[in-house]
Amino acid sequence: MRPEQIVEATLFASQTPLTPAELARADESLDETQVERAIEVLRERYEEDERAFQVYQLGDGFQLLTRPEYAPYLERFDSVPRPPHLSPAALESLAIIAYRQPIGRIEIEDVRGVSATSVLRTLIDWELIRVVGRGEGLGRPLLYGTTERFLEHFGLASLEDLPPPDELPVALGESEPDEAREAEPAAPPAEL
Amino acid sequence: MISGSTKPQAGSPIAIGGESFVVELDRFQGPLDLLLHLIRSQDIDILDIPIAHITGQFLRAIEEGLDRMPLERAGEFLEMSATLVRIKAQMLLPRPERYEWEEDPRAELVRRLLEYEHFQDVVHVLQTAEAQRGRHMAKGYIEDRPPPVISRPQLEVSLRDLLEAAARIPDPVPVAQVRPPSATVTVGEKVSLLRRLIGKAKRVALERLFKPWGTRAHAVAALLAALELARQQVIRIEQTKPFSPIWLFSLATGSDRSGSADTGADGPELESSRVGSGIEENGPRAAGAEELS
Repeated sequence: MRPEQIVEATLFASQTPLTPAELARADESLDETQVERAIEVLRERYEEDERAFQVYQLGDGFQLLTRPEYAPYLERFDSVPRPPHLSPAALESLAIIAYRQPIGRIEIEDVRGVSATSVLRTLIDWELIRVVGRGEGLGRPLLYGTTERFLEHFGLASLEDLPPPDELPVALGESEPDEAREAEPAAPPAEL
Repeated sequence: MISGSTKPQAGSPIAIGGESFVVELDRFQGPLDLLLHLIRSQDIDILDIPIAHITGQFLRAIEEGLDRMPLERAGEFLEMSATLVRIKAQMLLPRPERYEWEEDPRAELVRRLLEYEHFQDVVHVLQTAEAQRGRHMAKGYIEDRPPPVISRPQLEVSLRDLLEAAARIPDPVPVAQVRPPSATVTVGEKVSLLRRLIGKAKRVALERLFKPWGTRAHAVAALLAALELARQQVIRIEQTKPFSPIWLFSLATGSDRSGSADTGADGPELESSRVGSGIEENGPRAAGAEELS
C-alpha cells in the first residue's frame, strides 16, 4: 500500500477532520510529513480527475468534502440535521473574539454595547470559544479565545484565513479616522 | 461644531428610504446597531453627526418598543439615550476659548460607532465563510436509513431479576407423564386454604397456595382467590417489584382472624367459587365448581 492510499482510505472512512498525527496512526510506516505529502498527492489527483470531492483543511485537520458546486444536488436529499446558522448576536461576539483574543467579557460588551453573558455561554456550549486564561484586572476576569471547532465551523484552516483588520472596509487605525473611511465597501455575502 | 445645535424636526415623521419612520427595535442587536442604522440610512457623515437630530430620532425610536423589552435590554438602550443627551448638552454649552483644545464631545461615540461598524464587517466575513462552508458536504450528510423498529416492553428489569424469575419457573412436565383427568381446582378451595393460612400467620406468600401441587391450574385458582379476598378487604397484596415474590397480608384484626379461620364454606366463599368457576387441569369439566367445596 502506498501512503496516499492509506490516507485516502482513512479520510474516506471519517466523518470528522483528522490531523496528520491522527492519520499517521493508520500505519507504522507513516509519519506526519508523509501524511502531508500524501494529502498533496491526493489533492492534485482529485483536481486532475475532476473529482466531486477534495481534501480540505479545517483547522489542524483534513477532511474529504464535496466541492461547493455539487451542493444543489445534495441539498435535494434529506440531510442529517446540522447546527443552525449562528445568530447575529453570536456572530458579533465571535467576530470580536476572533480578532481581539484573548479578550474578556467586559471588553466584548464595550464593543457591542449590549450584555454578552448568555451569548458567551452559548458559544462555549457549542465549543466555538473557550476560556484561554485570566486577565490581570480586577477579579482576574476570564479571557476567551476561539477553538478548533470555530475554524471547522467557518471552513478555515487557521485564523490567518480571516482578512487582516486593516483590510476590512471599516478599518480601525491608530491614525485619523478619516483614513479609515477610504476603504472599499463591503462585498455582499456570497450566500443564497 | 455648530451642527450639534441643529434642531430635530420634531413631530413630522422622518423619511428614511422613502418610508415613514418606523423602527422595529427587535431587528437591532442593541443601541449601537440602531444608532448606526440611523446614521447610515440617512447618509450622515459619521465624523460630523448632527447630535441633536440623531438624539431625537433615537429617543423616538426606542419610545415605542421600550415597554415590551426585557429590563436588561431596555437598560442598554436607555444608557445610550443618556449618553446622547449628555453629548447634546455639551455641544450646546458655549465653550470658553481656553477649552478650545478639548476633544469634541462626540469623539468617544464616533470611536465606538466605527469600532462597531468594523466588527459588522467581520460579521459579514464570518457569515460568508459560514455559508461557503455549508456548501461543502461531508460523509454522513445524507440521512441514514431509519433503523429497524424494535418495540420494547415498558418494563425496567435487570438481568438479575430476569434470571431469578427464570429460576422460579418449574421444569417442564414430561409429555409422557400420565395425569389423572378432571381434577378440578376451584377458587373456593383456594379461598378456604388462604383463609386458613392467613388465620395463623400475618402474611402468606402466594406461592404457598399452589407450589405443593405445582400446576398452572392451582396457580391461577390461587391468584383468583387472592384477588377475591383482596376485593373483600380480607387481605392486602404486595409485590415490591416485577417478578419478586407476591405477599398476602392479613387485614383482619385478631378476633376476626380466629373467627373466620375455619369457616371454610361460608357465603362469600361459595359465591367466589361460583364466580371464579372451576378450573380444570385436564380434559372436559367433569363436575361443577361446588364439587370440592
